[in-house]
Amino acid sequence: MTPKSNFLQKHSLILVVYSLVFVLITVGSIYSERFLTLRNLTNVLRQAAYLGTAALGEMLVILTAGIDLSIGSLVKLSVLVSAILMDGNPDNVMMAVGLTLALGLGVGLLHAFFINELNLSPFVVTFASLFILQGISLTITTKPIGRSSKDFLLLYSQKFLEVPIIVYFFGLVTLLVAFLLNMTVFGKHVYAVGGNLTVAELSGIPVKKIRYGVYGICSLLAAVTGLLWLMRMGVGDPVIGKELELNAIIAVVIGGTSLFGGRGTVTGVIGGVLLLTFTDNLLVVLGVNQFVSGLVKGLIFVAAVALYKPSESFQRATA
Amino acid sequence: MKDDQLILEMNNISKSFSGVKALDDVSISCKKGSVHALVGENGAGKSTLIKILSGAQRPDKGTICFKGKNYESFSTREALNFGISVIYQELALVSEMSVVENIFLGREIRRTVGIIDSARMRQEANRLLEQMGIKINVKREVGELSVAYQQMVEISKALSRNADLIVMDEPSAILAGHELEQLFRIIQSLKDNGVTIIYISHRLEEVFRIADEVTVLKDGQHVVTRSMEGLTRAELVSAMVGRKLEEVFPKSESKVGERILEAYGISTDTILQKVNLKLHRGEIVGLAGMVGSGRTELARALFGADKLTSGEIKLMGERVEFSSPADAIRKKISLVPEDRKQQGLFTALPIKNNITLPILKKVSRWFLLNRKMESSLVESSKKQLSISMASEHLDVQFLSGGNQQKVVLAKWLHTKPEVIIMDEPTRGVDVGAKFEIYQLMRRLTEEGIAILMISSELPEILGLSDRILVMSEGRIVVELEHAEASEEKIIEYATMGESKAA
Repeated sequence: MTPKSNFLQKHSLILVVYSLVFVLITVGSIYSERFLTLRNLTNVLRQAAYLGTAALGEMLVILTAGIDLSIGSLVKLSVLVSAILMDGNPDNVMMAVGLTLALGLGVGLLHAFFINELNLSPFVVTFASLFILQGISLTITTKPIGRSSKDFLLLYSQKFLEVPIIVYFFGLVTLLVAFLLNMTVFGKHVYAVGGNLTVAELSGIPVKKIRYGVYGICSLLAAVTGLLWLMRMGVGDPVIGKELELNAIIAVVIGGTSLFGGRGTVTGVIGGVLLLTFTDNLLVVLGVNQFVSGLVKGLIFVAAVALYKPSESFQRATA
Repeated sequence: MKDDQLILEMNNISKSFSGVKALDDVSISCKKGSVHALVGENGAGKSTLIKILSGAQRPDKGTICFKGKNYESFSTREALNFGISVIYQELALVSEMSVVENIFLGREIRRTVGIIDSARMRQEANRLLEQMGIKINVKREVGELSVAYQQMVEISKALSRNADLIVMDEPSAILAGHELEQLFRIIQSLKDNGVTIIYISHRLEEVFRIADEVTVLKDGQHVVTRSMEGLTRAELVSAMVGRKLEEVFPKSESKVGERILEAYGISTDTILQKVNLKLHRGEIVGLAGMVGSGRTELARALFGADKLTSGEIKLMGERVEFSSPADAIRKKISLVPEDRKQQGLFTALPIKNNITLPILKKVSRWFLLNRKMESSLVESSKKQLSISMASEHLDVQFLSGGNQQKVVLAKWLHTKPEVIIMDEPTRGVDVGAKFEIYQLMRRLTEEGIAILMISSELPEILGLSDRILVMSEGRIVVELEHAEASEEKIIEYATMGESKAA
């Protein structure tokens, strides 16, 4: 009921997140000459692609008031499966990529199936999935396994106009998700399902289909993240993907997405991803103990949620 | 009564739920372009009838004739396609989404497969809102709008589906006085455009204002359908409750006693400004005013929920400072909140747990609950308040509005309060239960309790209060004695300081 402060109220968190990114860049460039170089910045953006791809999928799920805790485990399994299938042979690339993506999509659809048809909570389903997928991975191997083909590996370091092509790829994924959410009927229905499930059902929105959509895309993007890791590591390393789901959820939430669903923007989530990635990078550049990184992220998370609260209760109060 | 002008005829509708007859051979017909009021207590069968009309339930017997075609039953989707829209009290809107997105939710205008044509949707939404004579930025989030505007968004949603028949289920329950006028204006313009309205309300004065015809249901049976012309309020009430109007508001027989609660110049960070107030034992003081005039804020301040920025509160002559509601409860003040589902009850917990929650210490020994004591307390509440319940283990959410409100009251009465602040004590409660709640309030004052009652229903304020305080813009603008108060006076004072409409 206060239209004047509308824009600020709604977007204050996004502004805060981007200002923090700016502060980090400023601090970084003061403390280290290497920080504000094209090389380091594009490097950070490339790193952001890993967390970002997964986080965009997680965001879709959270927008429907769901959660996917399994993406870290799925990334791990995807790295292993794609590495084994590719086995260093360039002829296998298409097949390996295809099957890995199919695996991802399949896992996501299965999540949605359990949530839709058996009426289980997303938390329970994907929590179980976290352990099942991890169990499968660790049964396959506990040591690095398989091999990327050389061409596939080279994609990681390839650049176009000084910028790694992975960054362009991530830009494309971001635009696709933004397009999906803002311009399509599916996107509007995602917000509606998370905003008010009863209303969505009463309005004839195919809620189950929407769930198949978001969980499918979320897991698909996790599989894509797995493939990006294979590009980077060259082997299927079972260490990959650890706690990724937690970082993704943090990025989504500090980007202003409501854990209750129905509210959130791609711009915000990208801000959250950049903030986390720059924090990590800055700590490395400053030579700070890596364990501090978790502490810092935790503090940022709490601060973000605390900042988010006023506008949240503002919404509830006038709802 | 056959008539070419009839848009809807529901004939001989019966519906039972597990053997209990919710509707028994009920017939109702509506003339095209008229406003047809549907009244009756909760449990009279109104909502079942509406559910059948909306396609949510199929009747056991009977037929529905809509726009000249006969149906045995239809689905909700079919009902919408035929042109029947129901606007429920709980608005079916997604508060995080914009006005335009809500209007077209589930029926988005597409450019090609799956891609939204936002420009056309906005254009169309603007046209619909203009048609109703209201201005809202259609890009605004629905959650930021006042409930009145949200309701209008709902109505435009119905219009966007080309509804010929709009059912409004208690539309006024969420509106303040001046917002109601706007609703009436919109209903009038809908009527002029040939839209038929079925208007369900507990508030009879609205029925007299707006309806052309009225149908009364009682206990699942049709009592009467007639034109509003020449109908008196007393006739309508007795048709609904089988009781005379004078009996609805119990006479005040309690003696006003000593001062118990006093406030001097209290202000808060919210809109409350220098409010003075005195409350005596044995009286009901009515607090009237528009929504947003500071009534709820005053209640919160007295209850310790909002911090005072100035002024002081005295309880039995002693200065008190409440830093939280817990302090106030300890000092024997209770607040029965306006929104019982959100603030008064744990709807997913059994009746018993709800009632004994604030007094668990009393019914336990060495941290262990004494179940028998608990049950006997619940039993005594059940008798005192005549709560109708199958079992104390039933979840509160399955009770009717009236019984839920009684559970809230029961809960607070066990804390032995001396001052009870009641915010909209009979909202969403049917006429029968209302009567019981009024009687209970009287009985409590006879026992020496002081009641501060906030209400938007002027008949309730006028009928029950010993004194009436009228608020506007965070101040108490006038104090009226029972005898000198009238609806006109209250409205005049309540709108006095109104410079800006919401």
